[in-house]
Amino acid sequence: MLRLKGTIVTTLCLLGVNCFAVETEIPDVSGEEVVSGLSNPCGIAVQPGTGHVFVSDSAASRVVRFDPANPGELDEVVTGFPKDIYGKGPIYDIGPLGLKFLDQNTLAVGGGGLKDGQEIVRFYTVPEWGNSITADDMKASAGPVGPGDESVIGEGNFYALAVSPNAIFVTSNGDDTKGWVHKIDLQDNQPGDLQPFIKTKEATNVDAPVGITFHENYVVVGQMGEITVPEDSLLTFYGPRTGRMLANFETGLFDICDLAYSPSNERLYAVDFAWMDTAQGGLFRLDQSSEDGQQTVNSVKVAGLDKPTSLAFAPDGTLYVTIIGTAENDEKPGKVLKFSGDL
Amino acid sequence: MVYRKIFLTAMLALSLFGVPHAIDADDGFEHQIPLGLPKMRVPKDNPLTGAKVELGKQLYFDPRLSRDNTVSCASCHDPEKGWSNGERFATGIRGQVGGRSSPTIINSGYQYFQFWDGRAKHVEGQALGPIQNPIEMDLTLEELVEKLNKIEGYRKAFEEVFGTPVTSDGIAKAIGAFERTVLSGNAPYDQFKQGKEDALSDAARRGMDLFFGKAHCSACHGPPHFTDGGFHNIGVGIENDEPDVGRFAESGLGGDRGSFKTPTLREIEKTAPYMHDGSLATLEDVVEYYDRGGTPNPQLAEDIFPLNLTDQEKADLVTFMKEGLSSPDYPAIKAPELPE
Repeated sequence: MLRLKGTIVTTLCLLGVNCFAVETEIPDVSGEEVVSGLSNPCGIAVQPGTGHVFVSDSAASRVVRFDPANPGELDEVVTGFPKDIYGKGPIYDIGPLGLKFLDQNTLAVGGGGLKDGQEIVRFYTVPEWGNSITADDMKASAGPVGPGDESVIGEGNFYALAVSPNAIFVTSNGDDTKGWVHKIDLQDNQPGDLQPFIKTKEATNVDAPVGITFHENYVVVGQMGEITVPEDSLLTFYGPRTGRMLANFETGLFDICDLAYSPSNERLYAVDFAWMDTAQGGLFRLDQSSEDGQQTVNSVKVAGLDKPTSLAFAPDGTLYVTIIGTAENDEKPGKVLKFSGDL
Repeated sequence: MVYRKIFLTAMLALSLFGVPHAIDADDGFEHQIPLGLPKMRVPKDNPLTGAKVELGKQLYFDPRLSRDNTVSCASCHDPEKGWSNGERFATGIRGQVGGRSSPTIINSGYQYFQFWDGRAKHVEGQALGPIQNPIEMDLTLEELVEKLNKIEGYRKAFEEVFGTPVTSDGIAKAIGAFERTVLSGNAPYDQFKQGKEDALSDAARRGMDLFFGKAHCSACHGPPHFTDGGFHNIGVGIENDEPDVGRFAESGLGGDRGSFKTPTLREIEKTAPYMHDGSLATLEDVVEYYDRGGTPNPQLAEDIFPLNLTDQEKADLVTFMKEGLSSPDYPAIKAPELPE
């Protein structure tokens, strides 16, 4: 749960200090709310060069952006994405999901608004500030992966993307006997086709690759696990060329949704949605540890958050996190939070 | 606090699934883990010892843990019936019949959630539930502790194992420790995965390919435990006037309405009848149920859909489950001599 610091915050507000602080659980890290009024934000990326922050405002079927220097002004970038629902109760409206830049002007968007087997990854040339385009104004697309031998029901819900020099890696929902991470080869920065690549379920015996990032020539996957089971999320490393699993760690987290490395010191961070008990969710730092002579992961809670979905670092080490939040009345509780300090 | 980034050194920490291993206890007890099963996490406050496991076995098989001395844990979770009871529903004292079938306890020590609705966590959290249930064993914990403390053999055993007289906490820990030793692995499937190519018949191999492919079974019943430990609505019983809401009663999440814990398929041939309500008598019935896509309802799991299996494919699938997941080392544990 997003925790406001009650009296202290009120006092600080009266003194003209930031009124939207987010309580953190480790020293030398501070958090604040920078954008509110979003509808199930599910993806976030920082644009190279400008530093603008792009957000999948998923239930609003759009991608928006803001300038960190003026986060109060949201600019629509892409609108009119198809929309579907996720879950059996609670049920969430979802449209665009994972975001990643291939270069300063090319944005990749993982789709979630079409049925499994029809979904695609869309690529856009980013319009000038103040100009929006529609979801159909793609300069390229990849997919779908329809029903067939590789996927009994076809693939969809492209939760998150990771970009290497030669490829894009995409997590998905679909054939739960496989748990595919897909790959899109890049040639001269042009995307090829969407191809099933890593059978994460067969590699780990756990469901649902969702979080993903690329680091030091490893594809790093946050395996969400069963949403009805706690503490079963995994952190898994794969080779980008072969897809071979190199290492696999229990994290003790409930439902990892996204991963990102800090550019400052290469610490790894994850957000945990904690579907079955959202009070347990939050932003976590995943530290290397050891037990009985074996390398393990120690998950350190940075902040308790209300249904976090994605995270992205800016080059200066500032961390942005999207949360779905909990609606009171008819408000749109989705937010972007900013964390800074010793990350 | 030293912060260290996640990094990889040469081939670190890959789990060695498939390698039989044992975990030594202080008293020399070895927790024998069969081929195909991973190391089991044992709670730090309930380490396994030989004496504790033996005490737990006595408690498990002792009908004096029920009000009228007629029902033990083994009555509904009988080693001779797949550690279930062979009937549609569980039957407690005075012939009282419950509303759900008896799940097997085989490999339950690996499971976070216990019971069909997951209302207990870990085997230690489960052990005292049926004892207190009025239609199962019908003893309060106070009555139970008082009753067992009158049995000298139990008093001595508890002193030896826990350094206390009989306590409800000790009962739960001892039964839980015993249940952590009721394991089934080294099945033909495990041997096949280890490279023994003739471990499975041709029909079972075809069935295995279906299990992990077209039939979609491994979406929820994947190895090594052949359960994901989670909860899913497959529509069984949902057509009833007042359907069992299952996990929803515990979680309160709408999506859990009509969901039940995925049972292990290890030793599945021995645990008929099937489903939480024991409504399907045979594995053939089960495959037919899945083949037609379960029973439609708003919470039906997305992994349940018509499979369009041929008769031969259905037969092969059943062969894989019966042949491939039945261990030659089935835990056919006999009732011990009970303390007086």
